[in-house]
Amino acid sequence: MSNGIHVGSVDDIEEGEAEMVSAEVTGIGRDIAVFHAEDGNFYALDDECTHETASLSEGWVEGTEVECPVHSARFCLKSGEALCMPATINARTHRIEVIDDEIYLHPDTSGTAA
Amino acid sequence: MGLESIVIIGGGPGGFTTAEQLRRRGFDGSLTVVDPEGLPYDRPPLSKDYLTGAKHAEALLFQQAQWYQDHQIEVIADRAVSLHPQTGAVELASGQQLPADRAVLATGGRPRRLPIPGGDAECVQTLRTRQDADSLRGSVRPGSRAAIIGAGLIGAETASSLRTLDAEVVLIDTVDPPLVPAVGAELARQLHDMHAQHGVQTITGSCREIGPGQTEHTIVLQDGTEVHADVVLVGVGITAVTELAEAAGAEVADGVIVDERQRSSIGWLYAVGDAARTRSADGTLERRAEHWEHAVQSGTIAAAALLGQDPPPSTAPWFWTDRYGVHVEAVGDMAAEGSTVLREQDGQIRAAFRLAGDGTMLGAAAVDAGLTVRAARRIIDRRIVVDPVQLADPDVPLKKLMKTSSPTGSPNR
Repeated sequence: MSNGIHVGSVDDIEEGEAEMVSAEVTGIGRDIAVFHAEDGNFYALDDECTHETASLSEGWVEGTEVECPVHSARFCLKSGEALCMPATINARTHRIEVIDDEIYLHPDTSGTAA
Repeated sequence: MGLESIVIIGGGPGGFTTAEQLRRRGFDGSLTVVDPEGLPYDRPPLSKDYLTGAKHAEALLFQQAQWYQDHQIEVIADRAVSLHPQTGAVELASGQQLPADRAVLATGGRPRRLPIPGGDAECVQTLRTRQDADSLRGSVRPGSRAAIIGAGLIGAETASSLRTLDAEVVLIDTVDPPLVPAVGAELARQLHDMHAQHGVQTITGSCREIGPGQTEHTIVLQDGTEVHADVVLVGVGITAVTELAEAAGAEVADGVIVDERQRSSIGWLYAVGDAARTRSADGTLERRAEHWEHAVQSGTIAAAALLGQDPPPSTAPWFWTDRYGVHVEAVGDMAAEGSTVLREQDGQIRAAFRLAGDGTMLGAAAVDAGLTVRAARRIIDRRIVVDPVQLADPDVPLKKLMKTSSPTGSPNR
């Protein structure tokens, strides 16, 4: 059991894909993108690109990075670091826990940017 | 011997990226950005969200003042007036001499004027800087009649933005449709037709004269047609700003000539972005690239080269443009010799792909299809051959297609 938000089972998100958990569910006023990276692990970032309005869960996942589907900013899924222009602000990360093949999200409630 | 000081002239995306990348890559010497407009800011929103008022001046800044302090980058709001490669200095209009072991020119371009009577009249506006956008915004009221000459990226984006400000817009270009080399003939047609669908009058023709007036201005076309307007904007391309480089003795030909590592003919000076023009290793003078991503990419290459590091891998060129709420992206070369495959849905082109005879992809352009473009870019870069029938099928994601297809020339990853 976990006290995190149940996102689904590991089979629900294919490797290289992502799923958006809406603000109503995250409870922190922001949507969160949950990624199944190509290293096999799951990661979570704020869904909205730090550059302009765009949903990172609709982005291109490669390795342990996501590329924004609108202006091609890339973020590290592990650290949230903005890796290239046009993003200059890091994305906020959230903790993911996988227990018995079930994915749990722990939204960062600290309120400060990564 | 390590470099102790680098001066970057120009605070657009090329100049900013050079500075940011130099610090990211470990340069710990003195680093200065000189731009009369002060803190570096981004340009693409000037014809879009900034012009409509949806985005404010603060949001254009790449970084706030504090970031430059934190990274020990000095931003000087002044104009560079001369370069001194021999003594290693950049001279500013204030008279200040900045020591520079190397200088990077990121001066961009200046809008072209029409070589016709009235082409340089005061009423003829151009759009390149924040100040240009402010003046344009200030001159438009609901119901204003705006004439835009040039229906390329700037002209089309501005037409769209002015419509949201309830201006009446006439858009004039010599060709119909424009942007064929950029997005291919079919998508160019569809995109240009959007103007009329959004209440913009498009005219094909060239201008003979612009007559400035007290209350309205008159544009006379070659066939005698007259267009009366309160606001006149010309968007017919740019010329590279190269005077500083030329005066310093660097080779210049429609841009500062640089090698593949952005170094000019005088090794002390580098050039990036719109102001630079590459001569490739085999001696070919390439066309000058004027897109945002080239500025960022060339800034990154220059920073790596200045520090003796390897440049990032090259990829197919890419740009985006927005009009009437749709997001258009293109990658590679849609004008390359080959054939075009269209992906259509509900009678609309969603994507166009340019394929070579051997089945490899040369270019792609798409509307509101982010993942398609990102897949296409990788398909181009990795020389993957994909099935044209599946390319045309809107139900087949390119990402899936990419993984089931085989690479030709080079390895998949």
